[in-house]
Amino acid sequence: MTNIARTGQSLLIAASSMLFAAFTSALVVRRAIGGDWVSPPLPYWIWLTLPLAPLASWWIHRGRTGWAMAAGVLLVALQLAVLAQLRLAVIGEAFCAVLTAAHAVHAAAGVAALGRFGVNAGLFWHFAGLLWLYLLFLLGVWA
Amino acid sequence: MDARGAAEGRTAVTLFSTDHRVIGKQYIGLALFSVLLGMLLSLVMRFHLVHPDSKVRLFQMLWPDGAPGGQMTPELYLSLMTMHGTIMVFFVLTTAPQSGFGNYFLPLQLGAKDMAFPVLNMLSFWTTALSLVTLLAAFLVEGGAPLSGWTAYPPLSGLGKITGPGQGLGQDLWIVSIALFCAASLMGAINFIVTVIELRAPGMGYFDMPLTCWGWFVTALISLFAFAVLLAGGILLLLDRSAGTSFFIPAGLVVNDQAQTRSGGSPILFQHLFWFFGHPEVYIAILPGMGLISTVLGVFSGKKVFGYKAMAIAMLAIGGLGFVVWGHHMFISGMSPYSSIAFSVLTLAVGVPSAVKTFNWLATLWGGRLRFSAAMHYALGFVSLFITGGITGLVLGQPGLDIYFHDTYFVVAHFHLIMGVAAIFAIFAGLHYWFPKMYGRFLHEGLGKLHFFLTFALVYAVFVPLHFAGFVGNPRRYPDFKEYEFLKTVLPLHIGVTHAAYTLAAVQLLFLGNYFWSKRRGAVAPANPWGADTREWSDD
Amino acid sequence: MAIAILIAALAGATVALFFQPRWWFPDAISAHARAYDSQLVITLWVVGCIFVAAQAALAWVVFRYRDRGQQPSAAAGNNTLELLWTSATAVVFLALAFAGQGIWAGVHLAGPDPAALRIETLAKQFAWTYRYAGADGVFGRVDIRQIDDASGNPFGIDSRDPKGRDDITEALLRVPAGRPVELHLKSRDVIHNFFVRELRLKQDVVPGMTIPLRFTAETPGTYEVPCSELCGLGHHQMRSSLVVLPPAEFDEWMREAQQKVAQP
Repeated sequence: MTNIARTGQSLLIAASSMLFAAFTSALVVRRAIGGDWVSPPLPYWIWLTLPLAPLASWWIHRGRTGWAMAAGVLLVALQLAVLAQLRLAVIGEAFCAVLTAAHAVHAAAGVAALGRFGVNAGLFWHFAGLLWLYLLFLLGVWA
Repeated sequence: MDARGAAEGRTAVTLFSTDHRVIGKQYIGLALFSVLLGMLLSLVMRFHLVHPDSKVRLFQMLWPDGAPGGQMTPELYLSLMTMHGTIMVFFVLTTAPQSGFGNYFLPLQLGAKDMAFPVLNMLSFWTTALSLVTLLAAFLVEGGAPLSGWTAYPPLSGLGKITGPGQGLGQDLWIVSIALFCAASLMGAINFIVTVIELRAPGMGYFDMPLTCWGWFVTALISLFAFAVLLAGGILLLLDRSAGTSFFIPAGLVVNDQAQTRSGGSPILFQHLFWFFGHPEVYIAILPGMGLISTVLGVFSGKKVFGYKAMAIAMLAIGGLGFVVWGHHMFISGMSPYSSIAFSVLTLAVGVPSAVKTFNWLATLWGGRLRFSAAMHYALGFVSLFITGGITGLVLGQPGLDIYFHDTYFVVAHFHLIMGVAAIFAIFAGLHYWFPKMYGRFLHEGLGKLHFFLTFALVYAVFVPLHFAGFVGNPRRYPDFKEYEFLKTVLPLHIGVTHAAYTLAAVQLLFLGNYFWSKRRGAVAPANPWGADTREWSDD
Repeated sequence: MAIAILIAALAGATVALFFQPRWWFPDAISAHARAYDSQLVITLWVVGCIFVAAQAALAWVVFRYRDRGQQPSAAAGNNTLELLWTSATAVVFLALAFAGQGIWAGVHLAGPDPAALRIETLAKQFAWTYRYAGADGVFGRVDIRQIDDASGNPFGIDSRDPKGRDDITEALLRVPAGRPVELHLKSRDVIHNFFVRELRLKQDVVPGMTIPLRFTAETPGTYEVPCSELCGLGHHQMRSSLVVLPPAEFDEWMREAQQKVAQP
């Protein structure tokens, strides 16, 4: 990977992190002051996505981008299935929907980048995977 | 004109060029169009403020719904105000100094062949253009452009057309436009930062870069962290409008006699997200100008810029501190009064690096041999305006004093001077300084100086008196001043300001004429006309 | 050369404008407003001195170092100077920041006063309404389903709550001179802003929140209340008045208003 590609990906990751940091702080504030918070009921099978992120990263590490892309596609598909179940009028579920959808966009972009640039786009994928683990914790455990 | 310049004339025809020079010029062209449009909107507003009952055929032709019979409605005035602010902040002040000049000159000054990602660069320009088109389309849809101001506070912006005309599709288009602009700015920011980090000429350390490059670099860093947050706020606002969520909409609202079924949202939460972006945005507009002004003052004093390292560090300090002062836009918003105290101290602290820059500019001039080119005039005008506009920050930064001035014309005067006019003087300085490089010819110096003197005096005449409307307590964002007894006393002041504004606008024709004339007929410039020592002049 | 003169002239004209009497604050009508004015005057003098010094310095160096064929100095920096002016500015700016906290604390950090007259203030597009608790001193419950502007119930005072029957709803804000008042600011739709110039008070009125605003007006008179946060197409007409009455007159008015409510 060239320095330019690595620096570019790092900055993209920084910008994405700010986006999710903004959503997170909105969630924390909204949860604390709204008085109408109920924990979002995530479907139990969402936890099937837990191993997908590290698995994809491992495949990238081994140079198996095809497998990693398949894992990414599966992740996005499951995310879309979750999205279909959420009710936007309930605030906790609305946050789930926003964060899941925003991540799905990142994951889809990550898959596309793997297809186009191969392992060179691995850094972004590692970030997307880590981000999903964080979101699972935020939405599934903390909130 | 050198061979490269002639070749450029042809490549410029290529709309989707990935050449940073072409893209830089495209950005400057987009900003020039936008600034003219924004200025025209402000003239219509100034006219209406002092002639609120006049019927104008032209208004009726332009806005059949907004000005029935030529009589401007309040909602039309407010939509013009919203569009004026949005166009000026995003498509002029964010676009010209950073994306325009930065694209053209950052690679040249660093000794790079192009930006790090030329295709991404082209994409970010066209996303910006699409964003502008989307914004302007709001004028054409049912209900017209939104009336909630460039700050778009919910619930006014979050409930659709029930809160007013223009709050329907017009507000949706506004949010989509801003989201596109965020995306474009993020692409641009990544491109700039990678270029600075990876493409500096061999042996050029960070502290060997010209201060212009520091300005673009720090601005790109700010953009990278700020625009993502605005994007988040925009997405949530759009969902509140269209998907029935309650991020910013509280429970129990009765709007226009219709009870709303939302729960628990916080309008202030939006303000936090907005101003987390919105305050750094001020520095996005001014930092590239600061870098350029430093260079111009140095070149035309025949000296090195005084305190180069302090200047670069001051920019970094401004960029960093700029992220922790957003609350000073919210002193009276209903947020915790204790946080106001913290924001106030930080706000006055961010004034320190700005003052340091001013000291260094004066020290740069000190002991020099000043050559008064047109660019030098604008640079000196910038310093004067920066002082005048910045110093009222010491008043507004105190929450106790802000109580009275908040949302009055005092604030309007403050931010127009420091963020608007000062940055635009930097753009004028940049155009005069770099025109020979961009077009191989000089902008006419005499015409440039004449334009400077008139513009400089007139911006003082327009914006200094507005502080005094603020002293009277004149609220901003009023389409007319007829309803209040105490505003009758301010009307003469507004009439004076309006006339100064007309004259100021007319004077800009001098610049436009100069620009288009000099592009074809201006005196042919040598390779390094000002005797500068930065790389763009020695480039092939 | 010409630019040095112009900078000096424009700075001079700016300063001169501060000595015109026409466009200035209205007279203060509370202790807070007077404290505000003195902090503002101090700040303006500090700011004014910095402004004059900076513009004069700019004009002077431009005049002094105009091109007369001299050799430019080679000076490119001086760390002692940098340190000196950075710390001097920091001291002045931070001193201003701390000096300004007194008036802020006076408005926002003082605790509630049990003796204060409490008045609910309701903002909606594009009108203000004020509610007094009536003879029992207690505000009745509200129910947004009972909101009805036409029949004079913009608050939605719940008809089932006996405590609300004696509540007084008014379009003007009447307060007694010299007595502490506590407004409870609420909005029904979008953000509005309650501003009284003579009190030097301004506060956003945010839907979903009840924000207290405390003041003691001393001078009887009628003062305009302009909405100061963009709230829609009628923003500039969302006008109300603060009427400060001598205590005896206020009591008289209150008695009459209570009687009127008592007889349906």
